[in-house]
Amino acid sequence: MTDQAAELSCSACDAGIDRCEFCEETDCAKPVCYECMTVALGQVLRQPHVHGG
Amino acid sequence: MYDYVTGKLDWLAAGLPSEGTNAERPRAGDVARSDVPTCQMDERLGDVRERVRAAGWEACVVVNEERVVLGLLRSKELEANPELRIEEAMRPGPSTFRPFVSVDEMATFMIEHDLESAPITTSDGRLVGLLKREDAARVALELRQAERTEPKDRGRP
Repeated sequence: MTDQAAELSCSACDAGIDRCEFCEETDCAKPVCYECMTVALGQVLRQPHVHGG
Repeated sequence: MYDYVTGKLDWLAAGLPSEGTNAERPRAGDVARSDVPTCQMDERLGDVRERVRAAGWEACVVVNEERVVLGLLRSKELEANPELRIEEAMRPGPSTFRPFVSVDEMATFMIEHDLESAPITTSDGRLVGLLKREDAARVALELRQAERTEPKDRGRP
């Protein structure tokens, strides 16, 4: 793990991320953001709206 | 401000019993090794490395008194200067995964990301065990082979 922030984008949603949330590496070939990772693994359900209403 | 109220996913994350078709499929918590060595933040790396390797492991989970995961030492971190304290050598705040996650999904992710092990914890961060890639891949392969040989209409009326 390095301290240097890499410019990565999530391979699923294209959001900008500093590191892959699964392997925590900045040079990951298939980086994934936290939200896409937790949804893909079934740890959370994707919310239909960003607000509660 | 929101008050956190536990729900279905917390029930599953605590390893409590469930039912339904997916309940029979192996999950990360079933395959994770609960006998993974653990250590505390203030220990010396050289002492921990010796203990971990004597137990036949190449990884150690850093926990507090309540077994909440604080860090992780994989083979790379275990190779560091033996005089370092664990706090200085560990990978802090590692990504953790819930016990109910499908082993099949974990195996796919671990192979794609070349990750040798992944800590499995409850929702409140307490260690359940360490999932090794080789274990996850083996169980996922067995599952796929079993599904291939089973009749496709299994479970239908």
